[in-house]
Amino acid sequence: MFDKQQRMKTARISLVDTQADYGKTADPVVTKNVQPPAAQAPAVPEPVGPEVEIGALKMKPLLERVTREQVVTALLACVSIGALFLFWYLGTKYRLDFYIRFKNVPTPYEVFRQAVEVSSSTKFLVNVGFSVRRILLGFFIAIAVGVPLGLMIGRYRRVRDLFMPAIEILRPIPAIAWVPMSIMLWPNNEAAIVFITFIGAFFPILLNTVHGVHSMDGVLIRAGRCLGAGEARLFLNVILPGSLPHIFTGLAVGMGVAWVSLIAAEMISGQFGVGYFTWEAYSLVNYPAIVLGMITIGVLGLVCSGIIRLCGVLMMPWLAFAPGSKK
Amino acid sequence: MNTQATNTVEKGLIDVRDMGVVFGANDNEVIAVKDVSLNVQPGEFVSLIGPSGCGKSTILSIVAGFMAPTSGEATVDHQPITKPGSDRGVVFQQYSLFPWLTVRKNVEFGLKMAGVDAGKRDVTARSLLDLAGLLSFADHYPDQLSGGMKQRIGIIRALATSPQVLLMDEPFGALDTQTRVVMQEILTNIWQQFRISVLFITHDIEESIFLSDRIYVMTARPGRIKAEIKVPLPRPRTAEMTATPEFAALVQKLKGLIREESLAAMEPELKSRGLAGFGMNVGPKGVGEIF
Repeated sequence: MFDKQQRMKTARISLVDTQADYGKTADPVVTKNVQPPAAQAPAVPEPVGPEVEIGALKMKPLLERVTREQVVTALLACVSIGALFLFWYLGTKYRLDFYIRFKNVPTPYEVFRQAVEVSSSTKFLVNVGFSVRRILLGFFIAIAVGVPLGLMIGRYRRVRDLFMPAIEILRPIPAIAWVPMSIMLWPNNEAAIVFITFIGAFFPILLNTVHGVHSMDGVLIRAGRCLGAGEARLFLNVILPGSLPHIFTGLAVGMGVAWVSLIAAEMISGQFGVGYFTWEAYSLVNYPAIVLGMITIGVLGLVCSGIIRLCGVLMMPWLAFAPGSKK
Repeated sequence: MNTQATNTVEKGLIDVRDMGVVFGANDNEVIAVKDVSLNVQPGEFVSLIGPSGCGKSTILSIVAGFMAPTSGEATVDHQPITKPGSDRGVVFQQYSLFPWLTVRKNVEFGLKMAGVDAGKRDVTARSLLDLAGLLSFADHYPDQLSGGMKQRIGIIRALATSPQVLLMDEPFGALDTQTRVVMQEILTNIWQQFRISVLFITHDIEESIFLSDRIYVMTARPGRIKAEIKVPLPRPRTAEMTATPEFAALVQKLKGLIREESLAAMEPELKSRGLAGFGMNVGPKGVGEIF
């Protein structure tokens, strides 16, 4: 994809530059008069010929390579997940006891049966629904507070001086350590858990946003001001889009930490939620449900970070061409 | 051509008077610019040339409105400069296109800030892109373009809001020699179409002669105006003119002026270390004795 565009670009550059540079001086009529017609005839299609040929030549291996790479990627993904399952299966089948003990670990089949069983009632889905709702609430509040505050801190020295000391003290406190305080602070359990999720997501989002503003090329801000952007428009049209790549890094990290915090909070203080489901299964000695809860958390986390990545690609199409972005 | 330009263009007078710029305070004080007076008449192309660190970019920053001078004043059309604005287009040395906007949106940016409606913006942007020979790249992103193309868009983006003056801070400094020469020709063409005052910063002697009506030569730090040189070459300028004896004479003259200043700029360093480190058998007495 990129290679193709790169090539188109080079072709166009050479075209434009030729027009600009030699357009006036080049005189095909003179050449025609000097050269014999026999030599002239093949000379005309020549500039077109190689270009098309190069294009066709490069096009084919490109397509082959891309598909082969995709196949390899998919294969390795299967190997990666397959190995995980194989280890689990073999460990439980032969009751592996080599320092780590698989004695009580449920087999993949038991977990599958558990999944079928829970899907017959809505209880499990309600738990998932609670977790997802808490994540979304906590995460979006973290965005709503973290991004604007981060932009302000990044842009204004005085705002930074005011907020950063407090932030630097609160930041090292893990979200889990907030659980008792949160239960005391908030009127109900639900608000307390959302708050803990918010705490988890907030700091990565905030700090990456600040970093995004700081790492922006100052010339872009100057260019924006020269083109008549006042402070408010500068924020919206230059500083925000300029920091967006770093903001998205913050969102990806923040989402991960939010899940960690949420599950911990649900396990400790919860009613409902996947974390609660998992811990409850342990209390009730329902081992397959523990693994099911774990897998559910993994899949939900994967889906969430996938959505963030997709949003990033959709909202920042220019990054596909940024230097250093092709891997 | 030149007189005609001054007759038809009335706006775009840059006037810098007795300007001084001091960085730092007390013991760390550095006098960057001292007693600089210069002007750019409406429709005139003026270059400011000098050794690196002489404060030429500082002067441009002040005219652009990024910073205030310590003493003296700068005006555009008799109005004091207080902040950046779209009445003064600026082209930077570094590529300054917004990477998140397409080429067309970049060109439209100033018009959008001015509240021009989308339809008009589009028409203006397309005609400017056409002028720069880049219409087919309207929907590309800046990272898809070469350096020369980016700077061409930087120029037309600065022109989109119809400013009275164009300030250019070594705009072709990052380009290779061939592209540079082409860009200079493109710039003279654009300048002649727009009849706009240009203050052009450069350290390239040939470039300044090729483009300018007048050239100010600056001294090493603290930067002062050392000489003002008129370029009597006719317009429109063409690449062939660089081969004429008149052009060569001007190059020689400027080279002499600049070399003195470049040496002066280096002198403290050379004095302390001597030139021995550069493979020259000279003691730490100074550079006067070798040249």
